[in-house]
Amino acid sequence: MQNPYIPYPVVVDKIITEVDTKDIKTFRFKFVNPEDEQKYAYIPGQFGELSIFGKGESPIGIASSPTQKGYVEFTVQKAGVVTTALHEMEEGTLMGIRGPLGNSWPLDFLAGKNIVIVGGGFAFTTLRSLINYMLFEDNRKRFGNITVIYGARNPGLLLYKDELVEWGKRTDINLNVTVDKGDATWKGREGFVPTVCKEVAPSKENAVAVICGPPIMIRFTLPVFFDLGFSKENIITSLEMRMKCGIGKCGRCNVGSKYVCKDGPVFSLAELDKLTPEY
Amino acid sequence: MEKRLIKKDALAGIAKKMADKFLVWAPVKKEDNVLFEPLQKNAEPNFAYLNSKNAPKNVFFPHTETMMKYTRTPKGMVFSTEENKAAESVLFGVRPCDAHSFVLLDKLFDQEKYKDGYYITKRQNTTVISLACVKPPYASCFCTSVDGEPVSSDGADILITDIGSDCLVEFITTKGEKLASYFGDAKADAAADAKKNEIAAKAKEAIKSKIPAHEIKPILDKNFDNPFWNTIYGKCLACGTCTYMCPTCHCFDISDEVKGSDGVRLRSWDSCMFPMFTKETSGHNPRTSQKERWRQRAMHKFKYYVDMFNCIACVGCGRCVMSCPVNLDIRKVVEDISKL
Repeated sequence: MQNPYIPYPVVVDKIITEVDTKDIKTFRFKFVNPEDEQKYAYIPGQFGELSIFGKGESPIGIASSPTQKGYVEFTVQKAGVVTTALHEMEEGTLMGIRGPLGNSWPLDFLAGKNIVIVGGGFAFTTLRSLINYMLFEDNRKRFGNITVIYGARNPGLLLYKDELVEWGKRTDINLNVTVDKGDATWKGREGFVPTVCKEVAPSKENAVAVICGPPIMIRFTLPVFFDLGFSKENIITSLEMRMKCGIGKCGRCNVGSKYVCKDGPVFSLAELDKLTPEY
Repeated sequence: MEKRLIKKDALAGIAKKMADKFLVWAPVKKEDNVLFEPLQKNAEPNFAYLNSKNAPKNVFFPHTETMMKYTRTPKGMVFSTEENKAAESVLFGVRPCDAHSFVLLDKLFDQEKYKDGYYITKRQNTTVISLACVKPPYASCFCTSVDGEPVSSDGADILITDIGSDCLVEFITTKGEKLASYFGDAKADAAADAKKNEIAAKAKEAIKSKIPAHEIKPILDKNFDNPFWNTIYGKCLACGTCTYMCPTCHCFDISDEVKGSDGVRLRSWDSCMFPMFTKETSGHNPRTSQKERWRQRAMHKFKYYVDMFNCIACVGCGRCVMSCPVNLDIRKVVEDISKL
């Protein structure tokens, strides 16, 4: 019986500082035991518990795509005890990761549809996983048009800057990157995410919107999609809650009759309507 | 399965004999309380007890337990898996309400996906012997309202019922039957059975405290936002005693402790009554006040657990009723909900 509480040993292989403020970094982990990579087979939208012995664990969405072999990546903001310890780590350090945990972006439901991805700020990590998964050459034909609207407060806070440039060169993805306010060197779009969504006006025909961002962005973006005619079944998001076990036992992320860790974190708006508003 | 008769005063001797071979958890008097503890040599179990102060859930789900160990190396912490093993054990003489709680906890810890090995191993290696409540001990007992009975074999491998002259021993499961040799060879006759049924009916009758536990599920389905929730939590001190004493409360924390180069990861009981339970690093707390926390407790027991597992997460032991320092009575809460 595999003990779901015991992490897989990993080594911090690469650390990428994502933002100018230096408080968001991407950590690339390699499994100490190569066979563990198979056991850690994940789907975009799932999360893992980053396990630092002596500090504890922190639930973080998986930022890499399963199509990227040989490692797994998490993008982490420095916030509490565990993430602060993580940010102080050097490449080569041993630690642990648990998972993969939770449900995932509903790939079977998304297949054959036009996908609209809306991300704000730091909440872009599991969306990045989904985008890279869909853009992978073996997978691309399974999905229709891909429209991405991604915003950050300023250019320095955009994640995955190199990838954004690469995606921008492709013809099979409609990428719209925006910042609330640009700087001297910014040549791209300025404007809040909800406004850009209105301008881009993705069609509701055979489309699903996958939306992740800070509550304020979500609040103003949803009406835009309702106006565009998207149904609640076709708007998907991911919740965050305080978690410990990650497998629906410890009780912390209990919302109504669901556990966000086990039954989520991904829910459609239609599903969220049935939950108690306690998240 | 087989039934036998033993002398009433034989129980302590049987428990002590079992303790030569197994880890035997038995009711032991500790100062003013009776608690389930591993039976030490020369210690005397107390089977004349009413009910144990604490629920015996700690046998399977200890207050604090080690999940894994690790050591500091120059490259970082390297961990070693704590071998997940449990001694062959006997939980001797639990009350039927508490045995019922194990059935409810199994549903959470032993799900098809994500099995909790720490709990399951101890559960599998333990034989549960229930001691029927022929005289329900407290006015606050309400097991009959929550699918229980004072003389019930639910959750037990062996049920022992005091039928006056002797004790009737019923082997409920094959696991229980394996301990048959400890219970002599006096076969029980039909008369003993009839006597037990008569006693069981009387005991059931004696439970006077009744709550409409089954009626409130559809009401809770619709009343998450009812102003009623504003009225119950005012005096709650958020001490967490109710959840600590509760046989079915199972929320836990996971924490790390380091001493020198060695560390352990522990799990310990936690409580939805505590503000920190759901507070996130950002400062956001989905349950902002004791109102939301109390609603969570009531909802989890009488709605969420029913939605998830089709059973109420309360066994009617009355410990929370007796132990609450401000007399916040779950029975009254349930009754009030039924009138919404």
